[in-house]
Amino acid sequence: MNLWLVLAINSITLGGLLFLLSAGFSLIFGLMRIPNLMHGSFFMLGAYMGSTFLAKGFGFWPAALASAASMAVLGGLVERFLLRRLAGQELAQVLLTLGLSFIIADACLMVWTGDPIQPSTPPDLRGAIIRSGLVFPIYRLAIVGVAIAMAIALWLLIDKTRIGAMIRAGVDDAPIARVVGIKVSQLFTLVFCLGAALAAFAGVVGSPYLSIYPGLDAEMLPLALIVVILGGAGSLPGALLGSFIIGFLYNFGQAMFPDLAYVILFVPMVLVLVLRPQGLFGRVAL
Amino acid sequence: MAADALRLDGVHAYYGDSHVLHGVGLVCGEGRLLGLLGRNGAGKSTCMSTVVGLLQPKRGAVTLFGKTIGGLAPERISAHGVALVPQGRRIFRSLTVRENLVVAAQKVRAGSLRPWTMARVFETFPRLGERRAQYAGSLSGGEQQMLAIGRALMGNPRLLLMDEPSEGLAPQIVAEVGRTIVNLKNEGLSIVLVEQNIKLALEIADDIAILNSGSVAYQGAAATLTMDHPAITQNLGVH
Repeated sequence: MNLWLVLAINSITLGGLLFLLSAGFSLIFGLMRIPNLMHGSFFMLGAYMGSTFLAKGFGFWPAALASAASMAVLGGLVERFLLRRLAGQELAQVLLTLGLSFIIADACLMVWTGDPIQPSTPPDLRGAIIRSGLVFPIYRLAIVGVAIAMAIALWLLIDKTRIGAMIRAGVDDAPIARVVGIKVSQLFTLVFCLGAALAAFAGVVGSPYLSIYPGLDAEMLPLALIVVILGGAGSLPGALLGSFIIGFLYNFGQAMFPDLAYVILFVPMVLVLVLRPQGLFGRVAL
Repeated sequence: MAADALRLDGVHAYYGDSHVLHGVGLVCGEGRLLGLLGRNGAGKSTCMSTVVGLLQPKRGAVTLFGKTIGGLAPERISAHGVALVPQGRRIFRSLTVRENLVVAAQKVRAGSLRPWTMARVFETFPRLGERRAQYAGSLSGGEQQMLAIGRALMGNPRLLLMDEPSEGLAPQIVAEVGRTIVNLKNEGLSIVLVEQNIKLALEIADDIAILNSGSVAYQGAAATLTMDHPAITQNLGVH
């Protein structure tokens, strides 16, 4: 089978997953200026929770939604009771979220052990479509479909609703948003919950393909970080474009220059930081 | 006795470690237009920030129609009926004109005769209506100022604070902004107008307060003031 096609399909799949992961990361960073280093943990813990829901007999999509809901609650608690106390102190927030990510990683090791878990693909999405000798695994395509559906839903929420406009107003100018009566702190909680839920959802959706193992969090977080820096903090189109760029760079980089995989990923990030610190679509510099 | 729309008593405020307001006391009567003058750095904008809650007064009282609002969060103060047209306009640039107004809409207070709606803002500023779908960042300076005023009015305020609305605008636009302010006052809105444009302030304000180095050096009726009055030359003249 054509190697290039496999790489391209893998790239698009990873791009879709990265978008689900980094959309929330981007909104949280753009609105709240919080570099949430536990975002990879939401992804991994969400994936583990999903595997447990699956083991308890949930269907695949109900398990993904249940995991997303649990992670929304956890995210809300972290924001309300911990991050809220550190408002405006970015270094303290970085350290707090980093610390929590270590705690979650250790807790996951305790609960789910160190053995990789690979949930099975939902039954009706197994197999592949074969067209003129080319093989398209159905589940990979489904991931892309889900990511696109989610991108449209998020775009409608952020771009077409009053709440969305309020969130964007908060990204533009948070103090003035408060002065015109927007309850920015409630929006913060909402966005944080949403971001955590999306990351968990991505974790469950990605798990049959990536499998779940200790260290998955630390693998996903830098990717989300690069996506958001490339695309621009707070920008959904930026996160979408950045996700697919990184999806392609990651897969093609590993296949063609395996020794330089991280160089290929991080050089664009460094260039963007130096030449265009607000990212491709962003408005605020990091 | 009608309560004053806004009253500051002995207000002290700090930006970080720097003591900016030293016991400011001033009054804006209900339905009146108070012009707040002072040199750069005299503390005018700090006063505005303190009233809207972006800055907490360290000491002293801020009262709105007899009710203490000093120390409340900005969104609470907004719900009490204070709106700000900020210095530099600070419209939400990446939102459309329409969205800028939508996000600032508040419940109409009981007893409000002609509440502000988007339709009414567009009626007052037809240019904004024509550009409702445009991003606010793409508007001209004058249009952005109209939008900043419209956004403040969408909160249906009882007290409107305007921080240098004439800054950086062409003379005919300044005149238009001036006419708008007078119309708002004639509808009974209480207004505090911070201005560098002394002439404009003296023309349209009922009362004038002059800040110098963080405290009020003069407060009195605008009618008694002229450009060569000692209160003006001493506190606002260029040294």
